Amino acid sequence: MKKFLAAISVLCFAAAVPAQQKETRLFPYNYTIDDLDNGLRLVTVPTDFPNMIALYIVVQAGSRNEVEPGKSGYAHLFEHIMFRGSEHYTPEQRDRILKKAGAESNATTNFDRTTYYETFSKEDLEPVMKLEADRFQRLKYPEPAYKTESLAVLGEYNKNSADPTEKLDEVLHATAFNRHTYAHTTMGFLKDIQDMPNQYNYSLQFYNRFYRPEYTTILLVGDVSRDQALGLTKKYFGDWKRGNYVPDIAVEPPQNAPRTAAVDWNSPTLPWLAVAFRGPAYSDEKIDKAALDLLSPIAFGPNSELYQRLVLKEQKVDELQPDFGNHPDPELFTIYSRIKDPKDVDYVREQILATFERFSKEPVDQAKLDATRSRIRYSFALRLNSSSAIANALAGYIGLRRTPETINRLFALYQRITPQDIRMIANQYFTPNNRTIVTLTSKGAKD
Amino acid sequence: MIFIGLLLCVCLVFGSPANVGSVLQPGTSSLVTFRILFTTGSAFDPPGKEGLAALTASMLAQGGTRSLSYDQIVEALYPMAASVNSQVDKEMTVFTGTTHLENLDRYYGLLRDMLLDPGFRPEDFKRLREDAINFLKVSLRETNDEELGKEHLYNVIYAGHPYGHHNAGKVSSLEKLTIEDVADFYRTHYTSGNLVIGLAGGYPKGFAEKVEADFGKLPDRPADKKRFDNPNLAAGTHIDIITRDTRSTAISLGFPIEVNRSSKDWAALALVASYFGQHRSSNSYLYQRLREARGLNYGDYAYIEYFPRGMFLMTPDPNIARQQQIFQIWIRPVEAENGVFALRAALYEYDKLVRNGISQEAFETTREFLTKFANVLTQTQGARLGYALDSRYYEIPEYTSYIKSQLAKLTMADVNAAIRRHLKSDRMRIVLVTKDANAIRDAIVNNVPSPIKYNSPKPKEIMDEDQVIEAYRINVKPEDIVVVPVAQVFQ
Repeated sequence: MKKFLAAISVLCFAAAVPAQQKETRLFPYNYTIDDLDNGLRLVTVPTDFPNMIALYIVVQAGSRNEVEPGKSGYAHLFEHIMFRGSEHYTPEQRDRILKKAGAESNATTNFDRTTYYETFSKEDLEPVMKLEADRFQRLKYPEPAYKTESLAVLGEYNKNSADPTEKLDEVLHATAFNRHTYAHTTMGFLKDIQDMPNQYNYSLQFYNRFYRPEYTTILLVGDVSRDQALGLTKKYFGDWKRGNYVPDIAVEPPQNAPRTAAVDWNSPTLPWLAVAFRGPAYSDEKIDKAALDLLSPIAFGPNSELYQRLVLKEQKVDELQPDFGNHPDPELFTIYSRIKDPKDVDYVREQILATFERFSKEPVDQAKLDATRSRIRYSFALRLNSSSAIANALAGYIGLRRTPETINRLFALYQRITPQDIRMIANQYFTPNNRTIVTLTSKGAKD
Repeated sequence: MIFIGLLLCVCLVFGSPANVGSVLQPGTSSLVTFRILFTTGSAFDPPGKEGLAALTASMLAQGGTRSLSYDQIVEALYPMAASVNSQVDKEMTVFTGTTHLENLDRYYGLLRDMLLDPGFRPEDFKRLREDAINFLKVSLRETNDEELGKEHLYNVIYAGHPYGHHNAGKVSSLEKLTIEDVADFYRTHYTSGNLVIGLAGGYPKGFAEKVEADFGKLPDRPADKKRFDNPNLAAGTHIDIITRDTRSTAISLGFPIEVNRSSKDWAALALVASYFGQHRSSNSYLYQRLREARGLNYGDYAYIEYFPRGMFLMTPDPNIARQQQIFQIWIRPVEAENGVFALRAALYEYDKLVRNGISQEAFETTREFLTKFANVLTQTQGARLGYALDSRYYEIPEYTSYIKSQLAKLTMADVNAAIRRHLKSDRMRIVLVTKDANAIRDAIVNNVPSPIKYNSPKPKEIMDEDQVIEAYRINVKPEDIVVVPVAQVFQ
C-alpha cells in the first residue's frame, strides 16, 4: 500500500483551500530562490526547528524521461548508481562522511523526478554539500560496480513482486498509455531490468543527459541561512556545466474507446479493481486539475457517500483509495478498491462508475466543498512538523515548478473553484472514452 | 494564521496531580499531539482469544461511540484533517493523533468519547474483525514475504510464551471472538493504572489537567504489572521454511537476548546492531558485504528491538517497548537460486562478528553516528513524546540524553564484551519464505555447496570468501528443519 499512501499525501498537500480564513498563503515559511548562471536553482527555507538541516536535491528526470524502447527503469537505476562513487569519493568514503554526520540519507524516484536527500546536524553542512556536488558533477562508477548495482535493482523488483498492487499498477499504465512514457512504471519492465547489466554505455549517456544543473534544484531547509546556503552552492556547484538534451516525450493521442484489462494472479488474494480516467496535468493557473483535486476526497474519500456505503455499511470493500497525483503531463485519476468477495466485483465497479457519472452531472454540496478546503489546509499544516518533513512536502512542487510559490498559487486557485466548476470539469474528463479498468483476481477465483 | 514549529522551549514533565500517569511536553507549536498509552497489549490476550487486544483498540479508534456512529466521527474529523490511530504491541497499546490548536476542543471531545465512551457497535465489530482476519490471511501471508518471514520468526522464538502470536492475533481465534470479549477486555485492561497520558505542543493552560481529570474516571485499578521471561528455547538451530508461490526467497533469523533499553549493555548492543546492519542504511557491514559487494538483494539489516513495517519506515515507531527482545538479521529477498548462499553468507558474517568483535575504528565511527542520529530519531513533536513515554516505561532518562551519555561512556572493550555475553548462536531460529522449500531443505540437510554466479568480475578477496561461504556448514538436525505451508502461518 506504500504507493497509495504516497499518492494520498501528494493529494493532501497538493490541494489547499481556506474554510473560515482569508489567507492567501498555504506555505507559511519565508524562502529565497537563487539561480546560478549554469541553470542550477537553490531554494533556501530557514525554519525554527533547531540544529538540523534537510538537504533535498531534486532532479527533474523520472521514468517519464525514459523515451527509448527497452530502456524503462533507468531513472530509478540512477537513483542507485549515484551511490556507487564519484571522482573524489569512493562509496566507502561517502559512507564514512555520512556516518560521521549521523545522517539519514536516501533517494526516491517516481514518474517525473528523482530526489536525493540527507538530514543531518547543521555543523556537517559543508562536508555534505561538497560530497553531493562531486557525485552530481563527476559520477564515476566502473562497469563491474554498475553490473552489481543492477542486481540490487532486480532485488528491489523482487521484494515488491509479492504485492499484487504492483502488477495492477503496471498493467493499468501499460493499458491506459500507448505512446507516452507513463505507459511504464518507475520500476520498469522486468525484461528491461534484467537487461540492465548489459547497458553500461547507455547508463553513462543517461547521466550525461539529465544530471545537469538546468534539471536540478537544491533545497535546503532548517537551521541554515541563505548566505550560508548560497555560498556553499556557488563554491561546490558553481562550475557545473549546463547540458543541452531535451527528451522528445511523445504526446499521448486522445483515447477513442474505453479500455479494460484483467490480471490473473498466481497466489490467493482478494480481488483488486482499478477504475481510471485520463486526467489533466498539474497546473497552478488552469482550474482543471485543481477542481478534480477537490472532487477526489468528496466523491471517493473516507467521508464520501460511496466509501461509507461500500466500506462501512455494506462492508463489501476493505480498501477504497483515490490516486490523483500531480504530473507535468496528463496522467490518471484512479480509484483503487479491494473487494472482499469475488462475486461483488461487478457490483463495486458499477457503483464506482455511477459515482463518476453522478459528479459529472451534479454539483458537489457547498458545505462539503468548504469542509474539503478546510481539510486540505489543515492536512498541509499538520505535515510540516520537522525540517525534513517540510523539505519532503516541497520536493514534489519543486519537481514541477522549481518554486514553493506554486503551492500558494494553487491555494489561491482552490479558493476560486465553485461546485459548478467541478461539475463542468468532471463532465469533461470522466467520459467512457477516457476510461481504463483493470481487474486483478486470483486464478480461477472469479466466476 | 497556520504556522507550525517554534519549539523553542519544550519542557518535559513526568507525573500528574491525580492518580493518572502522564508525560507532558508543553511548547509553543501550533500543533497538539496526543499519545494516550495503556500498558496492556497482545501479551494479555487470553489463551484462545488471540487478537483481542488489537481488536479492542481498533474498535475504539475505528468504531463509533455510544452517541456517534463511526461514519459520524469520520464526518466530524474530516474538516480538521485529523484522525485517531491505534497501535498495539505486546505490552503497550497507544492511541495517537495530532490536531491544529484551532481545532483542539472539537478534536479532543471526539478523542475522549472514542476512548472513554465506546459504542461497541455490532456493525463496527463485524467490519473490524473481518479486516483483522484479512490482514493476516491475505495481506500478511500473500503480499509481503518480508514481513511474513519476520513476524513468523517472532512466533517461532516465542512459541508457548505470551509473546507467541502476532499482535493482530490468530485467524482461528479471531473467527471465534465476540463483541462481549471486546467489552470485557476493555473493562479489564483500560484502567487508570494502565494509563499514561502523553501530550505535547501548544495546548493552553489547564488543558492537561482537564484531560487527566477526564481520563481519571477510568476504573481505578492497579497496572497490569506482569513479568515476561526470556523464552525457553531448545538448544540448536531450527529452521522453518514457509512455502508459497513467490519469485524470490526472503530470509529472517535471530534469537532472544536478555537486553532491553533499560539494560546496562543496551547501548553497547545498539552500537553492534548499527555497525552490523543499521536499518535502511548503506553505512553498515552486512549491507556492504551482501548488497554492495555481491548485488545479492536490496538490503541487509540487524536489530535488537522489534521494528515492524520496516520496509515502509526509515525510523521506528515509538511505543512498542518490550521487556523481552531478540537479536534479528533481516536479509531482503534474493533470487531463488541464491537463497542458500545468502543464508550461509548471513550466518558466516554473523559468526565472524561474534568471533572477532568490532574494531576500534568501527566502534568510534558508529558511536559518532548514533550520537548524532538520536536527533534524527526525535525530530518531530510526536516522536519526542513517544520516546519520552518509552523512557518512562523503561525507567530511564530522556532518550537523546540517555543514549548520548551511555555511548559517551562506552569503550570498544565494553562493546566486545557485550557481544561475547549476549550474541550466542546456540539457539538460532531461521525463517525462509520461498517457492521450492523441499529443495532448500535438502540442500541444507545434505550440506550441498551453493556456489553463486556473478554478472561481472569480482575481486579475489570476494571470490576466495565465496568459496568458504558456499560450503559453510549450517549445523542443523534434519528433524529441526520444517516446511510450513503458508496457510498454516498465523492460523
